[in-house]
Amino acid sequence: MVVAALTIGVGPAGLTRGGLAQVLEFRLPRLVLGIMAGGVLATAGAGLQGLLRNPLADPFTLGVASGAALGVSLVLVSGHGSSLLLPVGGFAGALAATFLVYLLARVRGRVTMTGLVLAGVIANFFFASLMMLIMILGRRTLGEAVYLTMGHLGVVVTHRSVWLLAGAGAAALAGCGWLLTQSRALDVMSLSEETARSLGVNTGRLTRQVFVVLSLAVGVVVSFTGAISFVGLVVPHLVRMLFGPMHRRVLPGSFLLGAGVLLVSDLVARNVVPGGLPLSVVTALVGVPFFVYLLRKRL
Amino acid sequence: MRAIEVAGLGFGYGGVRLFDGFSLDVEAGEFLAVVGPNGAGKSTLLRLIAGLLEPQTGRVSVLGQDIGRLGRRRTAQLVGVVLEEDSLAFNYPVHEVVMMGRTPYLGAFERPGRSDHEAVMRALEVCDMVHLRDKGIAEISAGERQRAVLARALAQEPQLLLLDEAFSHLDITHQHSTLEILREMNRSGRTVVLLSHDLNLAAAAGTRILLLNKGRAAALGEPAEVLTPRNLRQAYGIEPVVLVHPQTGRPQVLLPSS
Repeated sequence: MVVAALTIGVGPAGLTRGGLAQVLEFRLPRLVLGIMAGGVLATAGAGLQGLLRNPLADPFTLGVASGAALGVSLVLVSGHGSSLLLPVGGFAGALAATFLVYLLARVRGRVTMTGLVLAGVIANFFFASLMMLIMILGRRTLGEAVYLTMGHLGVVVTHRSVWLLAGAGAAALAGCGWLLTQSRALDVMSLSEETARSLGVNTGRLTRQVFVVLSLAVGVVVSFTGAISFVGLVVPHLVRMLFGPMHRRVLPGSFLLGAGVLLVSDLVARNVVPGGLPLSVVTALVGVPFFVYLLRKRL
Repeated sequence: MRAIEVAGLGFGYGGVRLFDGFSLDVEAGEFLAVVGPNGAGKSTLLRLIAGLLEPQTGRVSVLGQDIGRLGRRRTAQLVGVVLEEDSLAFNYPVHEVVMMGRTPYLGAFERPGRSDHEAVMRALEVCDMVHLRDKGIAEISAGERQRAVLARALAQEPQLLLLDEAFSHLDITHQHSTLEILREMNRSGRTVVLLSHDLNLAAAAGTRILLLNKGRAAALGEPAEVLTPRNLRQAYGIEPVVLVHPQTGRPQVLLPSS
């Protein structure tokens, strides 16, 4: 709540100039977008970490977010910007990236932690380069490309696109809600795939369903905000430290804390430097040291 | 009724045939111990019986029903499996790990009810894990972890219990008590199949022993019939000393002098 109020209240424009109505017009969508992006990315991170038994998994490290950004860029340069096709492009890109990285990392039916992270890193570079190429060939500005790669909440919401945002938010939220219904299956899946199967979980189907649903949620979010790093990685670990590892608590906890963390990051990103920073600059400065800490603890 | 019926089983990894026309019948209420050298196919056989692997040819039935047609959930209500290692990536409390044994009985939105909590409590008591119930699974010793996993399988209340090296980290106190738990389950009509590298444990545990070698049943029968110097030499390539346990009358296997 406090963070939400700050998001509305604090900014270069300040509350005095332009009046409350105008500030609300710009900052209310920003607030909604921040909650949606932070919540979805952190929930997706929690779900992927459990599903893949990999504490380093999240939509960014697995290349899912940059795959979505690539899909979005394809739609942008094809001249369908600000249309319904942007979230569709995000979804398609995220889905393709998820399965590609998973298949790359799967050797003789097994997915190792390091294999998955390596495949994700490689995919990330590849998709980011492709996206940059597409944006430049499509005569988009570098600024646009940077925001798509590194995330921002400064989407201008018009009367037309507000419905798109509402629909996207509903879809993303529904995805997170569905994931919550799979809490018990994710618990046993995080022990081992064989244990999960021996306890009656259809692990192949669960994996495919989680991939599709999270690709949808993440793809839709990325189509509005671009790829935001490390929120999905760090937040679930914080939630586990606070509330324990059961998914029925980790998933909703991650949504709430993720939303809060992203709003704070956005506050920092647009207030420390005139003109603002891409969001990933802030989230990565906190997230990377945490990533290193997790990696060293496991190796 | 037969607890396990394997007929004409064919299975291999990457073109190399491990099982070719393998058959095995286990009556309901039996306690079968499976032994054999490394790579004999013990763990693969267990996974085929549990429905975790699909036979390439032939048929596996459990309690009179084809395992391939039973469905994952129904299989999990009938067959409990204790495997060697679970991931410790997430530090679940012991009582939650044991509650996961109730997964095949619970719907997506269903909260565990009284019967679930009772099954968990019973399992914790039987496995001497009550005092560790709130500890994290990654914080306890490997032996305690094996008992927690056994407790999870007991909470699952299966008709058929399959164990893969479930004793490897247990001290002799808990080997003894765990063997008693399995015997008690067996006495109450449940079928138990125990895989072990430890020939003496197998001899003490099973009413029958299956000696598996290169995907074939090298010997199958009562401990004294199976654990003979001749059979063991053929399977393992060394000739151990076989004595008789003074209390149980069962064979005990010692390494030969070098």
